[in-house]
Amino acid sequence: MSETLITLERVSKVYQVGEENFTALNGVSLEVGKGAFMSFVGPSGSGKTTLLNLIGGLDRPTSGSVLFQGANLENMSREQLAAYRRDNIGFIFQTYNLLPVYSVYENVLFPLILNGLKESQVRERVENMVVKVGLKDQINKKPAQLSGGQCQRVAIARALVKDPLLILADEPTANLDSENSYQVLELMRELNHEYKAAVIFSTHDEKVTRYIRREVRLEDGKVSWDKHRNGSEIET
Amino acid sequence: MIGFLFRGLLRDKSRFLFPFSVVTIGVALVVALVGFMEGVFMGMIDMTANLDSGHLRLVNKAFYDEEHLRPLDRSLASQQETRDWLTKHSAPDVDWSPRIRWGAILDVPDEQGETRSQTPVVGMAMDLQSPDSKEVQRLRLKSSVVEGSLPDKFNEMLMGIQLAEVLEVSVGQTVTLMGQSFDGGLVADNYQVVGLVRFGVTAMDKKMVLIDLASAQNTFYMEDMVTDWLGYFPPSADFDRYEEVKASMNTALVDWMQSPPKDWAKDDFPIVLSIRDHLNIGAIMDKFMTIKGFVVGIFTFLMILVLWNAGILSGIHRYGEMGLRLAFGEPHWKLVMTLAIEGVLIGNLGSLAGSLFGGAFAWTLQEVGLNMGDSFAQTGLMVNDVVRARVTLGGFIQGIVPGIFASVAGTLVASMAIFQRSEANLFRELEAG
Repeated sequence: MSETLITLERVSKVYQVGEENFTALNGVSLEVGKGAFMSFVGPSGSGKTTLLNLIGGLDRPTSGSVLFQGANLENMSREQLAAYRRDNIGFIFQTYNLLPVYSVYENVLFPLILNGLKESQVRERVENMVVKVGLKDQINKKPAQLSGGQCQRVAIARALVKDPLLILADEPTANLDSENSYQVLELMRELNHEYKAAVIFSTHDEKVTRYIRREVRLEDGKVSWDKHRNGSEIET
Repeated sequence: MIGFLFRGLLRDKSRFLFPFSVVTIGVALVVALVGFMEGVFMGMIDMTANLDSGHLRLVNKAFYDEEHLRPLDRSLASQQETRDWLTKHSAPDVDWSPRIRWGAILDVPDEQGETRSQTPVVGMAMDLQSPDSKEVQRLRLKSSVVEGSLPDKFNEMLMGIQLAEVLEVSVGQTVTLMGQSFDGGLVADNYQVVGLVRFGVTAMDKKMVLIDLASAQNTFYMEDMVTDWLGYFPPSADFDRYEEVKASMNTALVDWMQSPPKDWAKDDFPIVLSIRDHLNIGAIMDKFMTIKGFVVGIFTFLMILVLWNAGILSGIHRYGEMGLRLAFGEPHWKLVMTLAIEGVLIGNLGSLAGSLFGGAFAWTLQEVGLNMGDSFAQTGLMVNDVVRARVTLGGFIQGIVPGIFASVAGTLVASMAIFQRSEANLFRELEAG
């Protein structure tokens, strides 16, 4: 296995819903290597998004540890977690979440601006990334002028432009038709290969599973299987 | 970052135009209203000072206590010695002018020399003929004389235009003043009406008669005597200076009274007053400042309320953007700070626009004025019939500062929700679209 990027050690997450406790994750342990291209699959309520939240530093586990390159996220302050996300994580959402008043170019530029970089320093990098996702002719268009597939390409470029170690993609093809879904997945696979950023999908979409190299199935907050495309399979 | 966000702000009309309009309207109203209030109030102060009270006033206390009776026997002698003392013990920028307040019966004869009409008048005598006197300029007499000319000889008189109309007096006519002399005797002296004056203050136009100081001293047997010394600061002087100089002069007066001018009576004891002491103007000034503060405060509060709601609407409108920025690793405090900076930018732009609109309105009202003579006719107030606003730097500051403050405060109150927003829900919130 490649060098470990993320380590989950007996991670549990319990939410209080009214007077009841709801266990979203129950003792999940797994490792994610650098450059991984994998997905969390499972029915609604199985804990996929909770797992993305914990890995993305958006939430903290009730018990267990989430380690990023050996550093325990539990020990980080809110500010440090924000810096962790800023420096290391790219996000792709089901509904794209592009900023409507900005152009394609500006949407891709946005995370770099948040990271404190000046536009003049990164203009070429942003333009190259837009070209890379096939939107050269749309670079000055606003999101409202783009198709769903094009919007998701912008979101991919936005996630990748800061050269993160990890991209968390929550249902990225859920709003796309088949053709656009395949194009987006193909693009993500190419970029994963080129940029070496690990990509973790959370998805119901079976089309995604054809592209990924590892599939972690969650059921009732537990890993029910962890299947690698190289043939190895761990069923729990 | 700020430039990038500002670019978005300008493009997003829904989150820019509304708060910008609120600040613009609020600031414009405050600037115009403060300009109008200050114009009316300061107009009244200036008019009162120029015609009646000065900014500072040296008067014999005995005269002051009974001045409604015009007790000329309590006038102050030794003009030159008094002027020297005033010049030395006030401030270098204060100009002192001697005046005599007098009252008399004005008799208008017919062609046979019999009384045609008669009325009591209040009069002011001032130095209208010395080349270095500023009284003519101060009262804008040259432009106020609507018929005739200014006195340039002994026993010539200027009369309020409405008084002249009531008495059917025309320029060139001789009238008789009958009153009491300095030493209590009856005096009667003829004056020629050489000019009719429209002071622009109804109370003055109906009652006032002006004569030269030297003529008054001759008529009332008041050689080298005056009832008042009025001191005038330049227009830029702050109200506070009036009180400071008044206090220091009253202190110096105690020493002066150890060796007063030899022509003063033994019981003469002058006092120094400021315009605040005149006709309860101090209390009016205090109330004016309170009302002005109240008006500015109310507008600021209303602006904050509206901008707070605008901020909440904007927060809802930009819910996805805020979530995205938090997810991408922007700390809560930085997010709020950038919103506050947006508030400052909107506040500045709105204040600038509001200042232009409000300032233009106030300036127009300052130059053109609003004739309210009919309303003031029966009040007896010493207010110019043409009400004018006054464009001042202070008026702009009182509009701009609350405008910017309201914009930032409204944004900050609205952005409190950002601190309560949990990152743990961001995926769910952002997926909800």
